[in-house]
Amino acid sequence: MSSYLNLSGVNKMFGDFQALDDVNLDIERGEFVTFLGPSGSGKTTTLMIIAGFEQATKGHITIDGKPLDGLKPYQRNIGIVFQNYALFPHKTAVENVYFPLQMRGVGRRDGLEKANRMLELVGLKGFSERHPKELSGGQQQRVALARALVFEPSLLLLDEPLGALDKNLREQMQIEIKRIQKRLGVTTIFVTHDQTEAMSMSDRIVVFDKGRIEQVADPLELYHRPNTRFVAGFVGESNIMAGHVVDAAAGLAECAVFGSCRYPADDRFSNGQAVNILIRPEHLKISRKAPESGEWATMTVDTIVNYGDNALVIGHSGDHPVRVRVLGADVVIIKEGEDCHISWRPEAVHIIAGT
Amino acid sequence: MNGLMKAIGFVVVCFIAAPLVIVVPMSFSDARSLQFPPPGYWLGYYEAYFTDMSWLRPTWNSILIASATTVLTMILVVPATFALVRHKFYGKSVANVMMLMPMAVPHIVMAIGYYSYFGQMRLVHTHLGVILAHSCLSVPIAFLVLSANLKGFDRTLERAAQSLGASPVRTFIHITLPILRPGLLISALFAFIQSFDETVVAIFISGRDAETLPRKMFDSIRQEADPVIAVISTLLFVVVLIGLLTPYLVRGLRGRLRTRNAGQEPPPAALAPQE
Amino acid sequence: MSVNTGGVQGRGQFLPWLLLLPLAAYLLVFFIVPLVDVAIMSVTEPKLSLDNYTKVLTGSLYRKVFINTFATAGLVAICCLLVGYPLAYLMAHSSDRTALLILLLVTMSFWTSFLVRTYAWMVLLGNQGPVIWFMELIGVQDPPHLLFTRFSSTLAMVHILAPYMIMNIYTVMKKIDPALIKSAESLGAKGFSVFRHVYLPLTAPGIANGLVLVFVICLGFYVTPVLLGSPREQMIAGLIGHQIEEFLAFGLGSAMAMVLLAITMVILAIYHRRFGLDRLWG
Repeated sequence: MSSYLNLSGVNKMFGDFQALDDVNLDIERGEFVTFLGPSGSGKTTTLMIIAGFEQATKGHITIDGKPLDGLKPYQRNIGIVFQNYALFPHKTAVENVYFPLQMRGVGRRDGLEKANRMLELVGLKGFSERHPKELSGGQQQRVALARALVFEPSLLLLDEPLGALDKNLREQMQIEIKRIQKRLGVTTIFVTHDQTEAMSMSDRIVVFDKGRIEQVADPLELYHRPNTRFVAGFVGESNIMAGHVVDAAAGLAECAVFGSCRYPADDRFSNGQAVNILIRPEHLKISRKAPESGEWATMTVDTIVNYGDNALVIGHSGDHPVRVRVLGADVVIIKEGEDCHISWRPEAVHIIAGT
Repeated sequence: MNGLMKAIGFVVVCFIAAPLVIVVPMSFSDARSLQFPPPGYWLGYYEAYFTDMSWLRPTWNSILIASATTVLTMILVVPATFALVRHKFYGKSVANVMMLMPMAVPHIVMAIGYYSYFGQMRLVHTHLGVILAHSCLSVPIAFLVLSANLKGFDRTLERAAQSLGASPVRTFIHITLPILRPGLLISALFAFIQSFDETVVAIFISGRDAETLPRKMFDSIRQEADPVIAVISTLLFVVVLIGLLTPYLVRGLRGRLRTRNAGQEPPPAALAPQE
Repeated sequence: MSVNTGGVQGRGQFLPWLLLLPLAAYLLVFFIVPLVDVAIMSVTEPKLSLDNYTKVLTGSLYRKVFINTFATAGLVAICCLLVGYPLAYLMAHSSDRTALLILLLVTMSFWTSFLVRTYAWMVLLGNQGPVIWFMELIGVQDPPHLLFTRFSSTLAMVHILAPYMIMNIYTVMKKIDPALIKSAESLGAKGFSVFRHVYLPLTAPGIANGLVLVFVICLGFYVTPVLLGSPREQMIAGLIGHQIEEFLAFGLGSAMAMVLLAITMVILAIYHRRFGLDRLWG
């Protein structure tokens, strides 16, 4: 067991409700890991158990080999940025940042100096004497971050910290948080239900659903090779068709819409096994005429949603909805209500086990 | 409909204002009895109030009793309010009703009870007796104000403090208490006023030795209607006015920069001292 | 996400009781016991019997006082509503500045010792007061005697209790979405019918609160009726005080007090079951 943070067999019951079901996870030192999942999936509960605000019903957690069991939140040395920042309204920015140092017996002069340096690092030079209510949402966020980092915590937990910010500010803070995290090298767990946020920030993503870990992978792996149908549907847009494997050795499967299609052969599957076949919308190509070679299908266009640089074409093939992402310039070739052809390359086909 | 309502509303404003306005000129009147308009003006009754021990002593008694009542009430109510707002336990709703009961029982009923009970305990006509009685009567108001404040307290702040290394005790001292301070002060103020204004119980149990200002005023109005009462009324009136305006003035001075005020506003006239 | 926010679940039910204990003990010794003392006196003074209750519940003097008390409390509550509703309406539908000024006035009235307000009414209604003075000015011959009548005590009680009514109604009115009135108008309702079918029902909870509160407080009023009212038309509290002060009739006074308490409790209990007591005081 050489990982930095280790969760093994963590279970949590709220009365009869099983909030967490056998969560096992290893996180390396300095890693930026995101807990991703819909609300109620167990990601925040896991975070609160790590922080010590909730007790696991079963299971153990260790940091750097030392067990956390029985330690109170204030004995764990874990920095947390809360959803609403939880800045102390009666203290100035710098006093907020000084607070954890004060609790650790650091003298006022040294402590305030260190707090000021930390505020500078998060880009708040000159704001240290302001009270939280005199700061904007983004600035409050930075103070909360500085406060959670100033005492050199063994772990940094971020509980949906960007939820309250508007879109532009959110993107800016994503970059900022990543920059500061890299610079300090602090092991970080970031909780969010926003998959683009997870994609853009994480070294690895842990997908939660119904109290269970669905998949742990780096962002690209997660996107291109989701383990389960849930992950495929939750991360990014997807066309998923239920089907079965025809020839496992050659990499041939069959399903609705895509018909009999080839995929990169994989020995995890056997002939006749029921599977889900995933093709991402941007991997489908639209054309008016049938392609001369390769694999293709037909579909009827229902709606075109323009985003400027790209467009989402929503159509159907038989009873099945199909989504295609096309470049903005290409959208002129089709109109709503028309029939067209979609084609793809075998590498774009990903097979997921199960029905 | 709208116009009619508002017209009546304006008449009512005058009705509410008239008694408050009338006592001020009366306090400067040089008439020996209640006469309006006053035949002439002087400050003689102000002088009378500030030199007459039979008025100053009850004033001092009232301040003393109300202060002690406030302290005692808060010592009892603060922990109880925390228990009732923050914990779930068996019998909570009963405890809740019990906290409000002293407000529901007519004070005349309590007055008889205290008169007889404190008589047996030799507490009638003592400061302590009045303080003990008033503390009971102040509990509901102090509780209502404080619990409203405590319910609005964001407990994430306490979690944040703990995650930053503060033990529960230090969290309470450094975070909970300072943030609740406005609520605590208002709660204490309500307890003070409740005691300072309380008349019925004081009439029955304060006697000569612990005579409170309302009791003295009651006796005086009943017997002779001493014009000094207009002076006291005006002074009390000014104190209330200052008390009410202070938050607005302070906020006006401070509020330019700090627009979003995190401190709780004093509830306007929500809570009721009985007579 | 159902994260439990209780910080001290581990210690179970012990801590809250510990926190409540001092106050509970205090209220037991200095609130419940005196109350029980009144109950005991009502059946033991001067001797162990129910005579006091028989007297209080059947004697014609007492019946008259009880009826008078109820009538007065009811009258005061209704007057408070008639006075308070338009004022609350004015506050709720004026500019912020006007509303604030009126609110300040109401609050001020509320916080001014009711003894001061009672005294002020003595001045206003006195034989040499401004009301009589004004009547004489406009030529009323032989103006009526206003002070120490049912009129003066009722008026003063309405003035003293009106703020309770006003605040209760105002709170409710402030919460009414103006869009509701507009939408009622857009659906064809006009003037009085908007008021009757939309506005009035929406303010009903405030009215009910105010009426109960004023009625209950008024039932137990002592000072104002004693100082301003007619000695011939006493209210219960005044009579209780009279019995104790003049005749040292503790048994009789206690019995009356218990009846007053019982009536108050019944009203509040009904209210509590319907709405919850803590709502009453706002």
